[in-house]
Amino acid sequence: MKQTEKFDPNLPAKDPFWFRECFLMPMPLGQKAINLRELLHILREVDESVIYYHLVQSRLTVTQPVVEYPNEFALWAATALQDSKLAEKLSSFDPFDYDNMEEVRGAMVDIMEEYLWDLPSVPWAHAGFEFHFCEASMVVIRSETPANTLKDFCQGLGKVGLDSVYYHFFEARRRLGTRQLDDFSYWMETNFGLPELVKAIRDIDAYFYTLREIRDTLLVLIREHLGELCGYPQ
Amino acid sequence: MVTLSDYTAIVGEEVVGQLYRLAEALGPRRFVHVNSTRSGGGVAEILSRAVPLLNQLGLDTLWEVVQGDPDFFEVTKSFHNALQGQDVRVSQSLLEHYKDINRENARKFTWEADFVLVHDPQPAWLINEMRSQAKHWIWRCHIDVSRPNLKIWKFLQEIVSQYDASVFSMAQFAQNLPHPQYLIRPSIDPLSEKNRDLTPEEIQQVLDRLQIERDKPIILQVSRFDTFKDPVGVIQAFRMVRKHTPCKLVLAGGEATDDPEGPRTLAEVMEAAHGEPDIQVLLLPADAHHEVNALQRAADIILQKSTREGFGLTVTEAMWKGKPVIASAVGGIVLQLRDYSTGFLVNSPEGCAFRIRYLLHRPEMAARMGKMAKEFARQHFLITRTLRDYLTLLSLLENPGSQLIEL
Repeated sequence: MKQTEKFDPNLPAKDPFWFRECFLMPMPLGQKAINLRELLHILREVDESVIYYHLVQSRLTVTQPVVEYPNEFALWAATALQDSKLAEKLSSFDPFDYDNMEEVRGAMVDIMEEYLWDLPSVPWAHAGFEFHFCEASMVVIRSETPANTLKDFCQGLGKVGLDSVYYHFFEARRRLGTRQLDDFSYWMETNFGLPELVKAIRDIDAYFYTLREIRDTLLVLIREHLGELCGYPQ
Repeated sequence: MVTLSDYTAIVGEEVVGQLYRLAEALGPRRFVHVNSTRSGGGVAEILSRAVPLLNQLGLDTLWEVVQGDPDFFEVTKSFHNALQGQDVRVSQSLLEHYKDINRENARKFTWEADFVLVHDPQPAWLINEMRSQAKHWIWRCHIDVSRPNLKIWKFLQEIVSQYDASVFSMAQFAQNLPHPQYLIRPSIDPLSEKNRDLTPEEIQQVLDRLQIERDKPIILQVSRFDTFKDPVGVIQAFRMVRKHTPCKLVLAGGEATDDPEGPRTLAEVMEAAHGEPDIQVLLLPADAHHEVNALQRAADIILQKSTREGFGLTVTEAMWKGKPVIASAVGGIVLQLRDYSTGFLVNSPEGCAFRIRYLLHRPEMAARMGKMAKEFARQHFLITRTLRDYLTLLSLLENPGSQLIEL
């Protein structure tokens, strides 16, 4: 245990934590790119919500069991363009390094422009493997009972759906407009202090984890800092 | 009767609980589905299961079916083929007949609804006659419309544009329409006769009846005998495997009665399989769900070597049974299979043969893939996911213009 051993997990919070579930509905635009130049062209013009969908929200849709490429642009470069060098560049791109989506767009455009500049020809996808642009709408529901203590919180975290982990960990950054802030660590900080645990949570390299891995990591961190509170994960 | 609680053991309390919470937040609503057949085909199959479950969730849900004559179904079949890209011509008189039949049906429909989900083109025209009888009209397209025939699509586009929203199965099917378009993946019902758990005895009984011996590993493809499913390519792949590794091939499916090339394809299959005792071609009736279930569960490797595919629910069915699947990299199959993880994608008979051999020699890899495939199907492609998507869609339609709504 790293944090103070005197911390009482049954200490009531000033503001209880309400887990929220979110339900994402992808909305295809009917717009597609067959090659990297087209992708770049469309990327410059689409709404920020479209870029956000393919970089972040898509992890709530049909995602493979293991994160190999952390966003859909990198996945498309690898599987449709079969351009592993571009896929590597796009995989290392982390949207949470930027303050807003306009900056994210600018940085992505730079990567692709630079990459195209040095190429003798434009990489194309086979017919049927075009990049199809989407955005998404989302319905959010508040859980029936709040977590009043860290113990309640921990037990709740072990039970809620992975979409809830997504909402509080990823969507929070967009909602709060702060790249390093998630709802979980914010609640712990403002209710209990716990600076070491809060820092450890904010240091999670979340972009490369599946939602299940993020939940497991959070619970392991809580256990490491505060001891066994909820018996999950085994 | 199957109840929602029956799904708890399969998807978990959390998923079923979410459905109740979403439905409660939405409140009591009248929800009508309209399609063109009560039985046969994937749409009817999923509606027959989804409608009772939506009622259990507190939505007053009705399933209506438009009635038509042979001319009507001829024209709607032409629509179907045209939307899938065939060069089809439909006379003006048949187009008028399509509208007339919808008008006749509209006169019989007395329901009023908060939401009506109209499946595919057959009943799409109803909106012209019944707009005021429902608050929100949604068109659900189950067809691969990635490259529709332009003339027919223009005719349908005019109709569909009147709807408040459209729903497609894949992003590549989305069209230029003046309203929001949504994505809902097709799904299978894990408790249906085609997908429920079977006992070893039940499986063996079917194998005995179909005279299939389990003396060698079984490679299976279940699909209609139509050229798009490439059964001859499957036989080519099998023959390449047989040079090296003992196994048997079962090709099971119905005849494509609405495909003029169906009989020719079947003849080609029989010709290609001739003289090979380890190839069994089974012509099954359309309602042989139990047999298909048993065959899929008995198989060691399942193939879907289609050259074109909308979504490929046969792949989903195989994945749900924990089988390693080798399938072509086309349509929605690409979304379901990832090499070395949930299956193998291939592009040729040679690729298919290579992956069959690979898996026959690595049973531990085959088992691991099957396990991952089952979990993947559980997470994304079961009926509970469709119910959740419907409820989310209805909530969004009541709040137009909002990208994020809190209920």
